[in-house]
Amino acid sequence: MSFAESVSPPQPSGPLLDVKGLKTHFFTEDGVVKAVDGVSFSIGHGQTLGVVGESGCGKSITAMSVMRLIERPGKILEGEIRLDGRDLVKLTDEQIRDVRGNSISMIFQEPMTSLNPVFTCGDQIAEAVAVHGAVSKKEGWKRAIDMLQQVGIPDPKRRAAQYPHELSGGMRQRVMIAMALSTNPELLIADEPTTALDVTIQAQILELMKTLRERNQMAIMLITHDLGVVAEMADDVVVMYAGKVVEKSDVATIYETPHHPYTRGLLASLPRLGEKRERLEVIRGVVPNPLNLPSGCLFKRRCPYAMPICDTAPPLQDVGRGHVSRCWLTPTGEPPAVGSSPTAEQAEAAAVALSVAS
Amino acid sequence: MATYILRRVIQAIPIVVGISVLTFLIVYLTPGSPVDRFRSPRVSAEAIAALIRSYGLDQPLPIQFFKWFTKFWSFPWDPNAWGFSFVDGKPVRDTIIARIPATLELTGMALLLTVVLAIPIGVLQAVKQYSWWDKIITILETIGYAMPTFWLGLILKQLFSIQFNMFPLFGMHTIGKTDLPDLLWHLALPVATLTVVSTAGWSRYMRASMLEVLRADFIRTAKSKGLGARQVIFKHALRNALIPIVTLLGLTIPTLLSGAAITEAVFSWPGLGGLGVDAVRDRDYPVVLATVMIGGVFVIIGNLLADIAYGYVDPRIKY
Amino acid sequence: MRIAAKLPTGALEAPGGGIDEVDLTPVRTYWQLVRTRFLHHRLAATAVVLMVVLVFASIFFPIIGGDAWYRTSLKFGEHDPVSLIAPMGYDNIGINIFYRLMKALQTSLIIGGVAVLIISIIGTAVGAVAGYVGGAVDNFLMRVVDVVLSLPTFFLVIMFVAFLGSGNVFVIIFAIGLTGWTTAARLVRAEFLRLREAEFVQAAKALGASDRRIAIRHMIPGAMAPVVVAATLGIADAVVTEAALSFLGFGLLPPEASLGNMLTHAQDYFYRQPLWIYYPGITLILVVIAASFIGDGVRDALDPRQRVEN
Repeated sequence: MSFAESVSPPQPSGPLLDVKGLKTHFFTEDGVVKAVDGVSFSIGHGQTLGVVGESGCGKSITAMSVMRLIERPGKILEGEIRLDGRDLVKLTDEQIRDVRGNSISMIFQEPMTSLNPVFTCGDQIAEAVAVHGAVSKKEGWKRAIDMLQQVGIPDPKRRAAQYPHELSGGMRQRVMIAMALSTNPELLIADEPTTALDVTIQAQILELMKTLRERNQMAIMLITHDLGVVAEMADDVVVMYAGKVVEKSDVATIYETPHHPYTRGLLASLPRLGEKRERLEVIRGVVPNPLNLPSGCLFKRRCPYAMPICDTAPPLQDVGRGHVSRCWLTPTGEPPAVGSSPTAEQAEAAAVALSVAS
Repeated sequence: MATYILRRVIQAIPIVVGISVLTFLIVYLTPGSPVDRFRSPRVSAEAIAALIRSYGLDQPLPIQFFKWFTKFWSFPWDPNAWGFSFVDGKPVRDTIIARIPATLELTGMALLLTVVLAIPIGVLQAVKQYSWWDKIITILETIGYAMPTFWLGLILKQLFSIQFNMFPLFGMHTIGKTDLPDLLWHLALPVATLTVVSTAGWSRYMRASMLEVLRADFIRTAKSKGLGARQVIFKHALRNALIPIVTLLGLTIPTLLSGAAITEAVFSWPGLGGLGVDAVRDRDYPVVLATVMIGGVFVIIGNLLADIAYGYVDPRIKY
Repeated sequence: MRIAAKLPTGALEAPGGGIDEVDLTPVRTYWQLVRTRFLHHRLAATAVVLMVVLVFASIFFPIIGGDAWYRTSLKFGEHDPVSLIAPMGYDNIGINIFYRLMKALQTSLIIGGVAVLIISIIGTAVGAVAGYVGGAVDNFLMRVVDVVLSLPTFFLVIMFVAFLGSGNVFVIIFAIGLTGWTTAARLVRAEFLRLREAEFVQAAKALGASDRRIAIRHMIPGAMAPVVVAATLGIADAVVTEAALSFLGFGLLPPEASLGNMLTHAQDYFYRQPLWIYYPGITLILVVIAASFIGDGVRDALDPRQRVEN
């Protein structure tokens, strides 16, 4: 029996992955970096979540936290990461190893360096299979060749016996995908899987991921800075900025009615076909220094709508069905009811009132 | 592979000629002569002239070089090919061959201990980076690395030979004894001297290499597969971290023969290094030349072996 | 510290947006960065203090001690206890050991410093010519480097010193300098090969600058960073080499003071004066440690990419 054709188990109710209030901080010599600061989101069975943001916004650290791959000086301080209801944060090292590469697999941005140069591609896939199921070396190897075939590598027998440096970047990313999917995970975390590849190869890899997603009925957490990729792949979108979720909704809503000025900025900076523009919009300014974050809204220095109230941290408020945004603007884009320059106490109270349980 | 080795050997020929010429020039062009030590009012000028003739020092330099060079390289199986010592008149080749075992016992044992100690120490340090263990070992390594061998040798002698009277002060055998325990007993301090200093350097190197590999992307991949710490460290990381160590090994091979001159001097160990130093002191040109040549050839062989070994341990390198 | 306003690249382009954002992260020049990184390297900063103390002591004490470093007296280690004037006592012929040690340290530091200077000059010259001219010249010079590297270095130094005259400071410096330049030459050559293609050199060429001018004015300064690092680390090697030479009897001979010949001498008093081998030995270790840490610090400061975890 081939793994790929196996029927997925009856799905329990509730989301596959449910992250609540995750805080991952790095305790560096220069100070504490709040890389992930109270992030919540969930991914349903077989769903694809796009996590979007500029580099350094904490999206990769979020993914590494889910895998429990955070190392010194980083630490998961708070929060829950529930996979099918089981809190991964509380698992022992032994238990989390059984989850890694088995229930959750991960592929990375750099296919050139993500494979071990001294082992053959086949060995590395077979190893992934062997860790989670007591299979013989021969079976593991057979599975490796089978997987290479599934990810569309021609002549998989020969390729399996080759070392990573003998393959092109696109091929290596296919090997990574084969390795990640060899155990039929329920969730695939793809951290910028196409960023390092040529545009034509990018399209092929995304197509491959789509096909395999359908075939294996797995969920994908797709981390990218490329809104085009998200539009093509994702069901839901989380936009992150400086370690926090700033906007969250289904993909159509984000593209049609973005609420947060940062999301609007990101979308405005995309070139659109058939639209004549003198120049592309840019978000002015740079991501704030993580060691020296501004008080209040983290985006206020770059925000074209900044108001005095933005000195108070804005609430994550409901701006539509399942659409939340961390901004003071009302759902229609007006200054909040409490006024644009209330007292600090009024602003605090308004923040509590507007805030949705996350 | 065979063509690669052949190419390397051919490339080595000009270097061998180069080191021959350079050494020969240094030996013969510097002021002073090996017959100087025989000069005294009681030795006649004729006797000195005869001595110069018998050493061949009266001939033009290029001829001397040519004769020595062709003989040295063409007939290594001929015991007389490397000439005769100016000091005791014995064939240089035999003298050198007789000294090789003592040197190899000393340096080989030290190298073996170094590898056995340094690799686990460096790996453990890298894995436990920031720990107290790592900090203490790093300090010890720094001191060990900064310690000149001859001073360490003296300290060990003073502590273990004089204070505690546990090991002999110098030499290779107790007079009249040639058994293994006696040899090991004499080896202990000189081997310890060499081992401490080289372990300090090697483990530092191993630690740095391992730390670099542990930060590599493929280690993250290995962890994300769900591999245990042991497999990640000993299979994925160590295999890669050992690659640069091969170079170190290649660089160390020549010192197996020549590198222990100072330690040999401190412990009066009858090895090749000491022979070379004594030969320089006595201006025993044939012995000096032979010693340097052997050192040079071993450097070339060491480099070649390191490169060949590299091809085996690193699949990215093909010849 | 200079505080300058850094303009984010986007700010100027923001349509209609004024420069209303000021990031207070200070902007620093290259050398300020180098200095900051160096001082951040705590071990290196400590090592500088240690080195300054050693250098100062090696200048100061021989001056106030006058000829005490070789003047014999009727005081002897056995019955004249240590005092403020002779904190390490007197040796077997009544020489004040502390002053002798300071004189020896002075000699070591001078030999180490000058030898490293020679190494850097020869290495830079050879590397610059090889890297700039290229072709057959480069090939020839690099084969010479291969030849010198193939020879057992310490043995070569011994040969030079023994055949040119033991006990002469200049011979020792010459021998260490003449055998040690290969690493510097390779480093400079590599930098030159890199810089030859660099845009600012191409620009200088396009402006019609002469070869010599380009090499001296534009490329040598750019190639110096690795040489400075190698030179700092090389001081330790040179000092140890001198000590080893003197220890074996090829270097400085008594009455000249050297850390090496002090050890040789102390060896004869193993039983009665065990401390005598520690004085020159520990001094030597301090010099080596100080030089290596400064070298590490300089390397990390000049090129953070090469950073070695410590």
